[in-house]
Amino acid sequence: MTTPGTERSEAAPAVAVLPSAETVDTDLPRAAAATWRSLRRNPLAVLSMAVTLLLILVAVFAPLIADFPAAYGTQVLSPPSGSHWFGTDSLGRDVFAEVVWGSRQSIVVAIAASAIAITVGTMLAVIGSYFRRLDTVLGVIVDLTLALPVLPLMILIAALAGPSTLTIITVIAAFSWPEVTRVVRSQAISVVRLSFVDAARLMTSSPAWIISRHVVPAVLPVVVVSVVLTASRAVLSAAGLAFLGLGDPNVWSWGRILYEAQQAGAMSSAWWLTLFPSLAILLLVLAATLLSISYNDARNPRLRGPRAGRRRPRKASR
Amino acid sequence: MRRRTVIPLIGSALIAVLTLAGCAPSKPAAAADSSTAAQGSGPTAGSGPAAGSSSPVAGGSADTLTIATTSDVVNYNPLVGNSRTDYWITNLMYPHLLSIDAAGNKEPSLATKWGYTDPKTGFYDIRSDFTWSDGTPLTADDVAYTLNAVKKDKPAGTLYGQLTNFVKATAVSPTRVEVALSEPDSTVIAEIGFWGNIVPEHIFSKAGSVATFANDKDWVGAGPYTLTSVAKGQSYTMKRVDSYPLVDGGTPRPAAIVYRVYPDVNTEILALRNGDVDMIANALPPTQVKTLQGTEGIKVEEVPGLGYAHMTYNMKQKDLAKLPVRQALAATVDYDAIRNVVLQGQAVSTGSSPIMPVLKDWYDPSLKEYAYDPDQARKLLTDAGYTSDSNGQFPLKFRLIYSLQDAVTSQWVNLVKDGAAKAGITIDLQGLERNTYLAKTNEGDFDIYAGNFAIMDDPATNMALTYLPGGAINYSYVDDPKLNELISKSRTTTDRAEQKTLLRQAAKLVHDNVYDNIMYTQNLYVAFSDKWSGFIVKPSELLSIVDPVSLAAATTTG
Repeated sequence: MTTPGTERSEAAPAVAVLPSAETVDTDLPRAAAATWRSLRRNPLAVLSMAVTLLLILVAVFAPLIADFPAAYGTQVLSPPSGSHWFGTDSLGRDVFAEVVWGSRQSIVVAIAASAIAITVGTMLAVIGSYFRRLDTVLGVIVDLTLALPVLPLMILIAALAGPSTLTIITVIAAFSWPEVTRVVRSQAISVVRLSFVDAARLMTSSPAWIISRHVVPAVLPVVVVSVVLTASRAVLSAAGLAFLGLGDPNVWSWGRILYEAQQAGAMSSAWWLTLFPSLAILLLVLAATLLSISYNDARNPRLRGPRAGRRRPRKASR
Repeated sequence: MRRRTVIPLIGSALIAVLTLAGCAPSKPAAAADSSTAAQGSGPTAGSGPAAGSSSPVAGGSADTLTIATTSDVVNYNPLVGNSRTDYWITNLMYPHLLSIDAAGNKEPSLATKWGYTDPKTGFYDIRSDFTWSDGTPLTADDVAYTLNAVKKDKPAGTLYGQLTNFVKATAVSPTRVEVALSEPDSTVIAEIGFWGNIVPEHIFSKAGSVATFANDKDWVGAGPYTLTSVAKGQSYTMKRVDSYPLVDGGTPRPAAIVYRVYPDVNTEILALRNGDVDMIANALPPTQVKTLQGTEGIKVEEVPGLGYAHMTYNMKQKDLAKLPVRQALAATVDYDAIRNVVLQGQAVSTGSSPIMPVLKDWYDPSLKEYAYDPDQARKLLTDAGYTSDSNGQFPLKFRLIYSLQDAVTSQWVNLVKDGAAKAGITIDLQGLERNTYLAKTNEGDFDIYAGNFAIMDDPATNMALTYLPGGAINYSYVDDPKLNELISKSRTTTDRAEQKTLLRQAAKLVHDNVYDNIMYTQNLYVAFSDKWSGFIVKPSELLSIVDPVSLAAATTTG
């Protein structure tokens, strides 16, 4: 089912990837199956899913893959070799172990920060679109927050609050929800006007019930895409803060490896210190981004093709 | 739609990651290339009889010496500023009365003689051949003015901290200054002489308070170079003066000194390798020394350390007030590993004493370094009534603060944390931006403090600052009557042998009670291009080879 062009006047030109609410598939189980079939047939999607899964597995099973990086080692700044796959850093610690253990913090930050941002962002979006009076106020707040210079503020807050994983999650979440609100709202606003929502209003006077049973499920696909994008942005922000020395010094993270390389003045002579953690960041962000794009394409019946399960037409009708 | 969105996204992800990782060195715009420097040196080169000839001794060369640093000048007033770059640049303009040798002994500089006429009166005899760069002679009046103005206006620099017993300075002749003291103090004359920069009375007196004078233009100095132009964030250009009596031949050799600002030590090293700069003023990270020693075209010079790195345990904290806890903490630090791995062997143990071995005349070799023994630490804690839980954890948790700008400390605190964990003590690391760190340090907002001092040249003065109640750097908040008495006595006695005995007793008290945990004296290394030679090495990163006398004597080879 497609929505009529109502969103044109409402939806602000938000995030690039998300085609503003053009489709709402309310028949969830069938649509989900179709989406999954389409996703499975897209090699890019399968590859990015595999990479994301692999990184999550590495994070979960870090203790089985590598010992926690020791306090120091005797061979400092030795290049990659059989005993140290990714070389050693300026304290002689194994960079491979640091990257493996660093994946934990990166993924925890990604999941936690995006979960908070998504919950807050989605809630405000659906409430705003359902109660039109609140919408203006929320819109102003969202616009205001989006207009803030995010990185300097993150740096300021992280510096004042003191570096810790919790601070980083809070700071990133605090600056990520407005984009979610904006994207979800653009879809929710068109859903709220559909006839089935009007019909629901006849059945109950509880807005909470209508919102949770009808509006939220309808915007879920957009939320899923937002989760992945917010998570990958959180990884980048966390790495950026850690690189500036605002990461948690008690926990390994990819940003911290880069930061310590910079501090030790080893960046110009030890390429392995910067290459491997950067590659890890690149892989996770790229895989997450591609996955969200593939999912977005797959859930769109128009791009999926006339019948689910078939190859979608080469030329998307747009 | 699909392709249109995918490509920019991959692109932006790539760019974001590469920006993070690469930290691409941004090359500051060249402030003074060699041709403009040569032109600029025209008038000064003309003063020597052999102007235009290649002999460096006669009139100095036409070369510009370019030095890399990592920060801008924050304060041009030498009586206030205390960052490294502030110190390096103002030192080239405002002379010190005394200099220092590698063992911390004072040497003549602007002053030729110094000492005491009676226990409460000190004196300096100064050279008569110094002139300010505007032609005004530098006299004893400038010296007396500087000291009196600092006492009156209390600028937040190192010099003011030395003036506790100072009452008044008087110029009794154009070359002699007498200093009245409130009580006998056998160290103050040498300390003021070493730490104080002398400023021109005819410029600074017009400004009112020396504590607030910005001194940010039309500089008048009496050092070998005078600042002529500033491009903030990029470079500081200093031109040679006609006459500088402390260098052979009376004229500084390089025509100009340019300090260029780089984002960090990585970019400094790249700039030196590329030949963009001739020298890096900051000490090299220990792990880079070997690499650069083996690099063609680069020379590495060892600079003896004259300070120490230490940890203090805040004795206002109830657990840290107990001696066994401090002893236990001291036993969890693997001092050898810190020196061998983090410092790559470029540091010497002080025997856990505040009097380091470089201070040959004072050092007490009978004090031995705390032994690294986590099991002993556990025993000490158990004997003191602490009980560990089933995981071997004691209910002890401390917050250790350090400066993120201090790369070496940032590394070894990890070893400290791991060592303590072995003994069941939890240490939370709190790395702070430098200003926050200094603020927290001054407020005593920490359990354990890690940091270092560049120059601890005089044991009596330093122990007074470090261990007397109310001392400016008493970060352990120690107040031990016995220690107080020993330190106070050592400052008043003029008998050096007695002073030595008193100070050694004080150091032993500090050592035995773990009032301070002094870990090492770092010997530093600086790198410069092999096109230059003739530098004179002075101790500590503050002086190293960028001391005025050293830069003024530098020549190009070949």
